[in-house]
Amino acid sequence: MPVLEVVGLRKSYKDRLVVDGVGFAVREGETYGLLGPNGAGKTTTISMVVGVLARDAGEVRIAGRPHDTAGRATKSLIGYVPQELAVYPDLTARENLRFFAGLYGIRGSEARRRIGEVLEIVGLADRAGEAAGKYSGGMSRRLNIGIGLLNRPRLLVLDEPTAGVDPQSRTSILDSVRRLAGDGTAVLYTTHYMEEAQRLCDRVGIIDHGRMLAEGRPDELGAPDLEAAFLQLTGRELRD
Amino acid sequence: MKTPPIAMPATVPAVTSIALLNLRRVFTDRTNIFFVIVAPFLLILVIGQLSGGGQQLRLGVAADGAGPLAGRLVAALGSGPRITVERVGGEEDLRLAVERGRVNAGLVVPGGYDADLAAGRPVELRSLVRPDDLNAQDVAMWTRSVVAEEAALVRAAQFGAARGAGSFGEVLRAAETSSVPGIEVRTTTTGDAVFPEGLGAFAISAPPLLLMFVFLTSLTAAVGLVETRMLGVSRRMYASPTPVRTIVLGEALGRIVIALAQGLLIMLGSALLFGVEWGDPLGAAALLVVFSLVGGGAAMLLGSLFRTPGPPAAIALILGLGLAALGGSMMPLESFGPTMRTLAHLTPHAWGYEGFAELVRHGATVTAILPQLGALTVYAAVLLASGGLRLRRALTS
Repeated sequence: MPVLEVVGLRKSYKDRLVVDGVGFAVREGETYGLLGPNGAGKTTTISMVVGVLARDAGEVRIAGRPHDTAGRATKSLIGYVPQELAVYPDLTARENLRFFAGLYGIRGSEARRRIGEVLEIVGLADRAGEAAGKYSGGMSRRLNIGIGLLNRPRLLVLDEPTAGVDPQSRTSILDSVRRLAGDGTAVLYTTHYMEEAQRLCDRVGIIDHGRMLAEGRPDELGAPDLEAAFLQLTGRELRD
Repeated sequence: MKTPPIAMPATVPAVTSIALLNLRRVFTDRTNIFFVIVAPFLLILVIGQLSGGGQQLRLGVAADGAGPLAGRLVAALGSGPRITVERVGGEEDLRLAVERGRVNAGLVVPGGYDADLAAGRPVELRSLVRPDDLNAQDVAMWTRSVVAEEAALVRAAQFGAARGAGSFGEVLRAAETSSVPGIEVRTTTTGDAVFPEGLGAFAISAPPLLLMFVFLTSLTAAVGLVETRMLGVSRRMYASPTPVRTIVLGEALGRIVIALAQGLLIMLGSALLFGVEWGDPLGAAALLVVFSLVGGGAAMLLGSLFRTPGPPAAIALILGLGLAALGGSMMPLESFGPTMRTLAHLTPHAWGYEGFAELVRHGATVTAILPQLGALTVYAAVLLASGGLRLRRALTS
């Protein structure tokens, strides 16, 4: 049974249809790349998947359970890493993690244990007492990811997690994602970097104008690489 | 990592956690320390001092070469409850002391004061004041009344000596000890004094400033809410199993707690530092809590209306100071004309001002300020409801 099932998702803002019948599934231990240019509908799709935006139609199931904006039980199965650095810059990494752990109902010794675990995973254990605002771009990104791991999610949703980071931090982030998938976490991943998606994702879905144009393993899309497949399907570069 | 059993956040700890985080962020921000902790007390001190709160007024006296009669006058001048007489070497030194504000006013007693009075010659005392010293007129008035009393005795002595009743000194001593019915003004007060006698100036300045700072700090803290949304932290909270109503409640409680903390700091600090008595504890606490709800509600509304911190920061300053000025936090409400006073009651500050005036100046209890508490509760309800709904919409759309 897939950890995430999305069926016929639709969303309009006033008269503008931004997501039009999108559907895909992500299985346990699988990394699924949702690729598309700016304005394609990726973030709107992800917002509906994580339950911060109400859909007009369609269905989202997490571990077989129906999921929407009020789904507390299903939300507790998701780890969400937004594109923006959604952390308090004046708090330390540990304080940020403790605050968000509380929002997942993780408190006391269990919280301390998980925070320690997450700090090790994202490589911030020795800088955990520093204010997040003093971190480099790469360290901030890693903290951003760490918060998404606090609840040991069955589905990890990463929206452009490597945007604007140095190559070293990018490698570290990709390694972490690979390890998590290896441990059985289902990963939904969006990126602008085609070579990153090529290396990391087991399957990809290419979305444009709110529609899913193609879906499959990177080598199944009928082009030498993802960049070429994308150009073939949409008639434009990913970063146009 | 193994997937753990599903944990659900309980409402109360989650609300408290969000609220306390907000409080902590405001009070640990170094840029806020001056505005939230130092500035209120500085203003209470300055305004209290300008209104003469706890301040001894200083009269400089230059009386070189003057004799016992001049000494008597100087002693009488120093007998006032709020007047301290400082002897200054000469007229030039006295002029400098007045100009530089070392004394509030100066009095020059000429060297021939004793001899001229004994000989029945007129004596002129020169008074020196600085036009911008707000306390100079009080000192000058006190000086005139002491001099007039002394002059009456001297005239009696001069008259007696001229009529052969004895020497000037003998008649003066006799005049001092005789009780002659004179003219006196008896003042009867009716109604309640706006500022009752004996009320310290800090007790007048502290309550309006408390209202101003509670509201201003609340509105300034609204910027934190905008930042939380702008950073994507609010969205991330909403993605967690914490329900949106818990997030909204936590943010609202955070704003209210910030306002309360600011108010408590001023209340306790002014009581300890300046001896301000806030009146009936229940009434003062009720007024502070309700006014904090108003401040928290205003902050919620302001913080949920904007996406970037620039505009709300400017609006916070304009609204915080503007409403304070209109509501009597900068100039006493009693000095407003009838139209302005009516307009002032469009602000929550005016209701808070009246409530505290009843408690602090007239010793009223909580029942006497129910109308003010009622009006403030309406403000709080409207602002909290509209701010809460607006924030909920901003989070979920």
